[in-house]
Amino acid sequence: MPEVRIIAKNFMDMVASMPAMKLDKLYENAFICEAILRSLPPLAKKYVLQLLHIDGPVSAKLLAEWVLPDGLSKHKVAIDRLVQLRVFVEALDRKNEKTYKVNSTYQRSLQNLLVHGGTLPRESMPSNITVRLLTLEELETYALTQWERFLLQLISPSQVDKNLNISSSLMKVFQRRLLSQRDREAPKLTESGFQFLLMDTNAQLWYIIREYISNSEERGVDAGDLISFMLELSFHVIGEAYNTDTLTDFQRNIIKDLADLGLVKLQQGRKESWFIPTKLATNLSVSMTESSSRKEGFVVVETNFRVYAYSTSKLHCEILRLFSRVEYQLPNLIVGAITKESLYNAFENGITADQIVSFFRQNAHPRVAQRIPAVPENVTDQIRLWESDLNRVEMTDAYYYDEFPSRDVFEGACDCAREWNGLLWEDSKKMHLVVKSEVHPYVRDFLRRQK
Amino acid sequence: MASAPSKHYTDDISLLVVTLDTNPFFWSTFSFHFSDFLSQVLAFLNSILLLGQLNQVVVIATGCNSCSYIYDSSSDRNHASTNGTMPALYSNLLHNLDEFAAKDQQLTTDHKPATVPSSLLSGALSMALCYIQRAFRAGPMHPQPRILCLHGSTDGPEQYVAIMNAIFSAQHSSVPVDSCYIGSNNSAFLQQASYITGGIYYRPPQLEGLFQYLSTVFATDLHSREYLRLPKSLGVDFRASCFCHKQTIDMGYVCSVCLSIFCEHHDKCSTSLYLARLNLMLPQQTVGKERRLNVSGFITLILSCSQESLSVKSLLISSIYVS
Repeated sequence: MPEVRIIAKNFMDMVASMPAMKLDKLYENAFICEAILRSLPPLAKKYVLQLLHIDGPVSAKLLAEWVLPDGLSKHKVAIDRLVQLRVFVEALDRKNEKTYKVNSTYQRSLQNLLVHGGTLPRESMPSNITVRLLTLEELETYALTQWERFLLQLISPSQVDKNLNISSSLMKVFQRRLLSQRDREAPKLTESGFQFLLMDTNAQLWYIIREYISNSEERGVDAGDLISFMLELSFHVIGEAYNTDTLTDFQRNIIKDLADLGLVKLQQGRKESWFIPTKLATNLSVSMTESSSRKEGFVVVETNFRVYAYSTSKLHCEILRLFSRVEYQLPNLIVGAITKESLYNAFENGITADQIVSFFRQNAHPRVAQRIPAVPENVTDQIRLWESDLNRVEMTDAYYYDEFPSRDVFEGACDCAREWNGLLWEDSKKMHLVVKSEVHPYVRDFLRRQK
Repeated sequence: MASAPSKHYTDDISLLVVTLDTNPFFWSTFSFHFSDFLSQVLAFLNSILLLGQLNQVVVIATGCNSCSYIYDSSSDRNHASTNGTMPALYSNLLHNLDEFAAKDQQLTTDHKPATVPSSLLSGALSMALCYIQRAFRAGPMHPQPRILCLHGSTDGPEQYVAIMNAIFSAQHSSVPVDSCYIGSNNSAFLQQASYITGGIYYRPPQLEGLFQYLSTVFATDLHSREYLRLPKSLGVDFRASCFCHKQTIDMGYVCSVCLSIFCEHHDKCSTSLYLARLNLMLPQQTVGKERRLNVSGFITLILSCSQESLSVKSLLISSIYVS
């Protein structure tokens, strides 16, 4: 499959794909249970809560009775997700009816969490040991600059003045699907690379973390341990210092990588060293919908197709260059224009109009973000129109038939194709017929029977 | 096409304002113990916070003389002071509840020994609405608010006007008022509040499993409510209280200017000082969906079920303009 689209999902999908044994082991940790619960769709959350204190299995019918006819599809999605994550265990009762029961490990952990509350495996350090800690704002800027530096190094390694100490092999892993490199040419962004850049920080983070975890097996690290540590990390309090001595050797190795990504800040005191989780780390357990578009934006799009970006970051400039013509750059302002040529360029690289528009919306400058719509309608419409210009022809795989022996056979074949909803075109005079490729076997069988 | 990112959080993120009945006169006569009740409620509040990082819970204690905010999950998130065994929610809430109960006791005035004083529902509702208004104004991003009344004491007819005003204001800002009434008889005020604002009114038949009722019925976020079958009230007690003696009445007189309700005929309205030439009569069915107002022979107005959702007040006013 040449087109691998990057899907902005959290790593609950990764959790879901883990073997049952490992999953049950993960659920012994209350924080993972909590993170899993928060990642669920709203209806699923409710079902878990509802069945949390019920020990016996509950029939599927009983659960479905709560749902109004409109919500049946949502209900199905919720149940599927729960079964997939092994939060609900499916079984058949004596009458051969489907029943669900909350996974007993999960149930125990969550019940405990509800009644006693969760306690972290390590306590924050008292402030008299640590030197001056960063304020929350400083920590956030630290996290974001660190993350931006990482991104810039990811997409154009030549532009970075100070390299991060992420090993180049690890960097290669991250770049694997985002950059394509031919011999002796500068690496070029792939289609997924472009899409990656337009995602919001959290989605990008998830992508990188996913790559990091899926690569972990190659480095001889257990993915389960890695996931549980990361989720645990996400429940630490932002801005508090935690002693690194409380970590295992394995975790200490990971935390160095995470520091390079801006998830934690490492600090060294006279005797001890500690790590401070940043907002990026705590966002790991937040589901995607909640976290998106909460950053302060910087882009103003005007009705004359001009784009003003109040930003000093090279990364933002690179991103804007993807789909607009950057005209000039001032110390804190990038001015560009959206033109047909720049957009065609973007579309060729596999960026869609919706992605561009949602990028503008999500990063709208606070001054324009209050306006409805934040991006002028004429601009969004034009971007979409230009995109649809390129999609005037729709391709469908098809089979072409001619030289029918008789009109009856031809008409029979037409009816057969129509029945399967796959008739694309017919010429009854010359007896030519085009059908969708999915329908081809049926028409072929029909024609064979006629012989 | 990607859906436009909305200004709000998604619907399933909720700001839950809970008004907790702490009326000592009620709890001392009630068969279910307050501490058992509280432990189940605390578990419920904890589970709401568990469901989403951005969920927010505010608890307002409703005594019989005063009300007070006793817990706000948004304020203590930064300095979570866990003392080992108890999560911050419990310790903070219990500490504040203690303080509140002591203060409320000091304010207690003498009451008629035979009657059980009602708790200050109107005050709690107003405080909840104030909090929600503040959340609305804080910025474009706010969780979906709703109010949950956990009450057991009987209605205080003297609070009728204040409660109705609070209900209409909740309806106006589309904040549903859920009520979980644990007392023995249905509460007309809470029934009306939930009915008018589109919330859920439910009286759990067994209090031992209160947590289960709370988590199945009242933990449902506003987004999921569109898809679920939730308890519907069968009949709502629409009776009003008169302004003069604060009694619940079936039939009464209404001032045509200020819509004050009286149980007996007056020559002059005590609220608006209007010389009441047109005193209006208001016979009402005690329980029912249809209500008939006789405007002393001038007009007869039938408020059908669909109109009930409009504010009763605005309808009355329009009817008077007609006359």
